[in-house]
Amino acid sequence: MGGKVTCTLGEVKNRADFIIYWGGNPADCHPLHFTRYTLNPKGKHVPEGRKGRTMVLVDVRETPSVRFADIFLQVRPGKDFEVVTTLRALLKNRPVDEARVAETGLSLDQLRDFVGRMKSARFGVLFFGMGLSMTRGKHMNSAAVLTLVAELNAFTKFVSMPMRGHGNVTGADVVMRWSTGFPFGVNLSRGYPRFNPGEFSTIDVLVRGDNDAALILGADPGATMPQPAIDHLARIPTIVLDPKVTHTSRLARVHITTATSGISAPGTVYRMDEIPLPLKPILKSPYPTDEEVIRRISERVRAKPAWLPASYAKVPCA
Amino acid sequence: MITLRLKEEPSVPIEAEALSPDVVAALRRDEIRALPMFLGKRQVRVGDFFEVEGEASEELEIHGDAGRIKWLGRGMTRGRLRIAGNAGMHLGAYMKGGTIEVSGNASDWVGGEMSGGLIRIGGNAGGQVGAAYRGSRTGMTDGTILIEGSAGLEVGMRMKRGTIAVKGSVRDFAGLEMKGGTIIAGGAELRTGAWMMRGTIVSLTPIPLLPTFAYACSYNPTFLRLCTRELRTHGFSLPSEASEGSFRLYTGDAAVSDRGEILVWQPRVS
Amino acid sequence: MLRITGGKIYDPANGINGEVRDVCISGGRIVERVDGPEVRTIDASGMVVMPGGVDIHTHVAGAALNFARAMTPENHRVAAKFIHSPTLRAGTGGTTPTTFATGYLYSGMGYTTVNEAAVPILSARHTHEELRDTPIVDKSSCVLMANNEILLDLFEAGETERAKDVLAWLVWAAKGYGVKAVNPGGVAAWKWGKDAKVLSQPVHGYSKVTPSIIIAQMAAIVDRLKLPHPLHIHCNNLGMPGNVSTTLETMAVLEGKRAHMAHLQFHAYGGEDWHTIRSEAARVADFFNAHPNLTADAGAILFGDAVTITADAPWQHLLYQLTGRKWGNLDVENETGCGIVPYVYKGNNVVNAVQWAVGLELLLLIDDPWRIFLTTDHPNGACFWRYPEIIHLLMNADFRRESIRKLPSKALKRIVLNDLDREYTLSEIAIITSAGPARALGMPRKGHLGPGADADVRIYNENPNRELMFQHPRYVLKGGEVVVEEGDIRKVVDGREFVVRPSYDASVEEFLRPLFEQYYTIAFENYPVERERLEGADIRDLG
Repeated sequence: MGGKVTCTLGEVKNRADFIIYWGGNPADCHPLHFTRYTLNPKGKHVPEGRKGRTMVLVDVRETPSVRFADIFLQVRPGKDFEVVTTLRALLKNRPVDEARVAETGLSLDQLRDFVGRMKSARFGVLFFGMGLSMTRGKHMNSAAVLTLVAELNAFTKFVSMPMRGHGNVTGADVVMRWSTGFPFGVNLSRGYPRFNPGEFSTIDVLVRGDNDAALILGADPGATMPQPAIDHLARIPTIVLDPKVTHTSRLARVHITTATSGISAPGTVYRMDEIPLPLKPILKSPYPTDEEVIRRISERVRAKPAWLPASYAKVPCA
Repeated sequence: MITLRLKEEPSVPIEAEALSPDVVAALRRDEIRALPMFLGKRQVRVGDFFEVEGEASEELEIHGDAGRIKWLGRGMTRGRLRIAGNAGMHLGAYMKGGTIEVSGNASDWVGGEMSGGLIRIGGNAGGQVGAAYRGSRTGMTDGTILIEGSAGLEVGMRMKRGTIAVKGSVRDFAGLEMKGGTIIAGGAELRTGAWMMRGTIVSLTPIPLLPTFAYACSYNPTFLRLCTRELRTHGFSLPSEASEGSFRLYTGDAAVSDRGEILVWQPRVS
Repeated sequence: MLRITGGKIYDPANGINGEVRDVCISGGRIVERVDGPEVRTIDASGMVVMPGGVDIHTHVAGAALNFARAMTPENHRVAAKFIHSPTLRAGTGGTTPTTFATGYLYSGMGYTTVNEAAVPILSARHTHEELRDTPIVDKSSCVLMANNEILLDLFEAGETERAKDVLAWLVWAAKGYGVKAVNPGGVAAWKWGKDAKVLSQPVHGYSKVTPSIIIAQMAAIVDRLKLPHPLHIHCNNLGMPGNVSTTLETMAVLEGKRAHMAHLQFHAYGGEDWHTIRSEAARVADFFNAHPNLTADAGAILFGDAVTITADAPWQHLLYQLTGRKWGNLDVENETGCGIVPYVYKGNNVVNAVQWAVGLELLLLIDDPWRIFLTTDHPNGACFWRYPEIIHLLMNADFRRESIRKLPSKALKRIVLNDLDREYTLSEIAIITSAGPARALGMPRKGHLGPGADADVRIYNENPNRELMFQHPRYVLKGGEVVVEEGDIRKVVDGREFVVRPSYDASVEEFLRPLFEQYYTIAFENYPVERERLEGADIRDLG
């Protein structure tokens, strides 16, 4: 949205003395985060390791990550945006309404203290998870912490990073961007890439029933999406490519078992900080890779008559 | 007048930016029927989905449930587009002039980045009314959007000028990052005026406010009386008389500015 | 086999200046002659024939550019649309074209070789993946080194021999072609929120290493390793009023060692602040003219949309604070950083007007076209597909003066452009867009039409409107294949990637491994880019 101030994880390892985790539970979801990158390592400029770092956990409930935190700030559910907006104002010494701050579950004093700590950090980092990006406010919650961090750079060195989900979400984002310009929700119906979250993002398309076929690769919407989306997938011709038979497979017309990436299929995975790492398969699989299957489908589609319009009509408009 | 009657519901959304007064104003009936639209990735013609009557007119009327027909009136500069039914996304996006009227509901992005003209929705609208498209710094820069029912998220996001009036309630983030203009709503959910720089948001019922908005005073602003008069001609009634009550003025958003205003109507208790 | 007949040949590397001659092509190369019934003839009568364009400094692939794509969906919405077809991939043009569109746009303009100017080693794999998806053009890349902390630590310790081996190892690990120095010391200092504004002052966190030392040492190493392209330098204090002194000092520090000065326009300002900023292109040009060890590219700006993308991260934080625009920043552990701020250059803005003039002044005041090349530091100054606008401004003094008249009057006192009458000839344009950059890059088969050259050729209809002329080549050939004809992409071929393999003492790996494991966060085995990942690699052993 407005940009992002970030770094690769080695910078956090080597420099960070103030680490915030907001809306995430790394102890369960990113189990090597603390030991490899953020808390335990002896960094080039943090030779004392854990003792040289302060960790603040911000979340709506106590998770297993709490016991690794030096400070735990419990926000009321659905109040993260209010907290971050308040922090942005406090950063600029602007007045805020104390009573409405208290509704967030945190007091004005707590937030003032938080801002003070952020400003006096030598190198601060804010990691944010799905507790922020998937709760009420969604992309605006993410935008809020990203903007706060950008503004903190007027005072000290501060960076932010989203805690990406499993699989190669970051890789898909990277490849989509270089080939279409957009990270997700890309529509190619008019012959060129278009992007509009809410209109072309998967969950919205499925819930509204805007598509009449679906090819699902490496995802399981049948397990995670709202019921209208699942019902729609069951109604239309749905094809699933996955190493396992998934929830989606069970309501699909076709399931093709493919080799597991990273174990049997080569490629590149992009880490959450967008560092590309090579995948070197170690086991042979009797199943084809996703790439092979897509290529074969693609070839057969290309052989069909008029699979693309001879030319895309330029639709006249005002 | 040109009348289009929807004869078949599309199986997937149709994109029909050709359906605007500017395009049809000089076209014969067979030319209108031959205008291209996109049904998903397939090119179709207007005549495949609509019965067409009339020709060469700036008055275009669509009958039927066009709730899946997107981009109607895109960029129009003149004339009148009426939809007797629902309308799909991006209705009147980039519009510069003329009038759009919808008897039913509209979807998301009504009047996206418009710069002039009038849009009236008889039912509900979706989100992002008069808003900036993703990444753009500015939303609508002028024009008027009137909604009889309710509206969704991010109404008037990054708008710079113009008026949006919603009789019903709006959802979260009305007036998000607003730069100017006026939004009037019957009520709102959370985070109204978030990060607004300038502009005025009026709520006719009490609404939750961010901690970064400060109460300034209670009064009956003159400009609102003018606004009220204007809106009354469109069938929108706004209270404004001191005898009926007053507005509580909140300024903010302190995270970015102190020149944004939220006015919340406080009826006089007698 | 192909014969181009009747065209006016501009092949300055071989002394041909507008002569009507045949150009013969066979096996993807220029040859003396072709015979037989298999020969296709292109009748280029009345047309202008030049070697394919070579862009020595552009940002078209990799993490920084891809980050910029993420930040500017609104630019893609209004950009040129590339419609997919059975032969062409979909894409968007604009300020940060997608990879396939990049290849189509460059070749559509007659350019056949591009040098990606900034690659971090840690994400070099990503850069090569994007370059692989950039069709038609040949590619090379410059690897970012001047803020590499392993190198800086070695310079601090005075270990120049080891530094040479490390640098060589890193170039090969990144599968690069050249070495890039961006704001030496400044990006390392930015890791703590600081910068390096004084060349003689130690870099933050060090007591001996200064930006001057980094520049001098790196230039010396690049020469010792016999890299075909000299050290490619983006000076400290980019964009700042008064930075001319830093630029002159940088050039002086080189003490006659060869170097290529990147986007010189951004480094030729006088004045004390944004209200007094003025052109010092004349001073820079004077020094530059007197020092034949240097080449430069213009980095000119044009009014309109741009996206500033640079490894100069501290500068970008400043630009964000000045303009309030979106700001992206990505610090790369131990190596470098990048900053991104979308920007619009406005004709009525005095600072932008001065910048516009400075780029043109440098191109006109630097005498030798073999040493100053046409670039806009795409997409920092302007989009590469607008180069023809600059060609027109260089070739037509009347048009240039008309444009100067539109500038705000305050700017006129700060620039000398109006006093300059020089008009570039077609031969000189062929030099600054092809022959010169090819020579500076050390690519002997590029930039000319002599036998043995790669058959990369552009053919134009003559047109006094040089902008139109250079925007629409009649034909473009790449490796002897007609890829573009009358604005249409006729054939999509794969380009090659030029890579060098400098020699180094193999024991340097034993030095690097423990450092790497201590300071980085990936396995040492995964650091070097695998040779197999490069498609069509042209590897030059410098052994």
